[in-house]
Amino acid sequence: MTSGVIEIEGLRKTFHSLRRGRRVAVDGFDLLVEAGQVHGFLGPNGSGKTTTLRALLGLVRADDGRMRVLGANAPEQLPQVAGRVGAIVESPQFYGNFTGYRTLRLLALAGGVPVARVDEVLAQVGLADRGDERVKGYSLGMKQRLAVASALLKRPELLILDEPANGLDPAGIREMRDLVRSLAANGVTVLISSHILAEIQLICDHVTIISRGRRVTAGPVVEVLAGFDHNEHLVRVDDLDRAEELLLAAGLTVTGHADHLVVSGVPDPTTVSRTLGEQGVWVRELTPLRPDLESVFLELTGTPAHPGVPRQVDGSTPPGQPTTDQEIDLGMRGVDA
Amino acid sequence: MNLIRAEVERLSARRFVQLMIVLLMLAFGVTAATTLAGSHQPTAVELAAAQRQATANIRGMELEHARCLARERGEPFRDDPGLYLPSDCSELDPALQDRLPVAADYLTGVFTFTRQAEPLLYFLVAYLVLFGFLVGASYIGADLNSGGVVNLLLWRPRRLTVLGTKLGTLLGTVLTVSVLASLAYLVTFWVIAQIAGYPGPTNAAFWAELGAIWGRGLTLVLLAAAIGFAIATMGRHTAAALGAVAAYLVVWELGGRIVLQILEVARPDQLMLASYVGAWLAGEVRFWDSTACRTVTSGYCDGSYTLTWQPALVVLLLLTAGLAASAFALFRRRDLL
Repeated sequence: MTSGVIEIEGLRKTFHSLRRGRRVAVDGFDLLVEAGQVHGFLGPNGSGKTTTLRALLGLVRADDGRMRVLGANAPEQLPQVAGRVGAIVESPQFYGNFTGYRTLRLLALAGGVPVARVDEVLAQVGLADRGDERVKGYSLGMKQRLAVASALLKRPELLILDEPANGLDPAGIREMRDLVRSLAANGVTVLISSHILAEIQLICDHVTIISRGRRVTAGPVVEVLAGFDHNEHLVRVDDLDRAEELLLAAGLTVTGHADHLVVSGVPDPTTVSRTLGEQGVWVRELTPLRPDLESVFLELTGTPAHPGVPRQVDGSTPPGQPTTDQEIDLGMRGVDA
Repeated sequence: MNLIRAEVERLSARRFVQLMIVLLMLAFGVTAATTLAGSHQPTAVELAAAQRQATANIRGMELEHARCLARERGEPFRDDPGLYLPSDCSELDPALQDRLPVAADYLTGVFTFTRQAEPLLYFLVAYLVLFGFLVGASYIGADLNSGGVVNLLLWRPRRLTVLGTKLGTLLGTVLTVSVLASLAYLVTFWVIAQIAGYPGPTNAAFWAELGAIWGRGLTLVLLAAAIGFAIATMGRHTAAALGAVAAYLVVWELGGRIVLQILEVARPDQLMLASYVGAWLAGEVRFWDSTACRTVTSGYCDGSYTLTWQPALVVLLLLTAGLAASAFALFRRRDLL
């Protein structure tokens, strides 16, 4: 493994509870985040994301595995680098009767950060005018902004954000995206865990996907998506049956749908239009179907919705076990799974 | 040092602490006002009459003692019907009494400092013990519950240092509040005695005894704060400390005492924490053991025994140290979710 800002190898964590028994949260998970990356960390609910981040930050004791943050072994040497790491972990909570300003001021005092920095970060997250209000009056989105402000207080080299867009309105999500981009442009390495996959695709250059405590894929977003590009095209014609017949006769793989066809394994779309056009079937629509992070995520974690079947938390499928009627072989599809 | 400053500010800014201090001042004010309203400075005539009554009572005690001694020597003495003379005349010896009647005992409607200082101080200590316990429990309980500890650990990932600083801050703050409150309290009542009452005969022994109660009271306040803090740390919640104390009082001090009496266990008070609290605060406490004289069929049997402050201090220190050590050990290894 090359040296990175965050290195996790073989992380394992099992929770034991009298009521719920034994639950494996993280099962041999690996993660590598290199300097300057904006790294997306994805996984279904209960897949082990937050446990991983908590273990990395010394809040949860790992059962096994090796973790390093900014070159320091975690959690033993965390105090040496804590001043360079800003983090929020899951929905952060604050003492409701303190104002936003006081909350940050106390953290700044405890961390030896100049108190003047508080006003700067409040302005940076859009709470400049609301800093003197009690936190209990804040909306979820405002609390989230306050949490991000607390992480920014230290001018971190590494920013770990667990669900930073939780509770944010669309404008807030865009502001958060701009903030992360500007931090990344200034050399801050960012690790973001989120469920908003479109956001991750927009702001992250690398991604790691976890399911049932294990990494199922990791790498640059472009490469991960490319690994799932099956050269599929959506085709709409007036006579679907005739078109399907012609395309199958031409040796192409075709899946029929109610109002369109999906043709797979066709690098060049002109093959489709030429095959149909030569036989007098005119194409009304020919659209390439590019995979997005959401479809990759759902495929890899085996969590697409099934009509009429309520999905359970972390109802994902272990790698290698197909759950959908498409019989996806996850082990083969993953970039480096 | 920064962490201590931050924690002092965090503790003093807490609503609950402020509320408890307001309640303390309210109780203080009401007590002082009613004392002031119900007292007057004794006139020379009142003082002289009270002094005469005290002298007469001392004379009466001396006469009783003299009669008893005369009976022992077999000399004739004037016998009053209904006069009880004990077999041991030292019981009547005025020189061996805890205290002799003084003029202040016979002043009505007059606040006498030397008579009232001790009960007033016990009242204040009782309030401060409650204050220390509740503030200690809520300080860490609310912080664990609101995510404040997790936020702090992200900045200072040294668990024992953080918890130790919190405990140190708590004890320092509680001690400061207790010292200031008790000094203000005693000085206020001393001034009331000077301007609208009677200070009473003060001497070195009086001040030494009052000082000893004050010192032991403050120690008890600190122990209560540490116990509240430790139990709430172990239970992760303020309510854990309140529940533990309520459960102890109901199950052991009440239920256990009844069971011990049914089983006729010797010296049951020795097994109750309340006995040691009382012994520590008062210097010593005398208990009567109903089982001690069961086998004595004739003659005098003294079934009483005494608990002094020394073993009481050992018991209270061991209990507090044990709870604090358990809390630190648990907090060091605990997963913070």
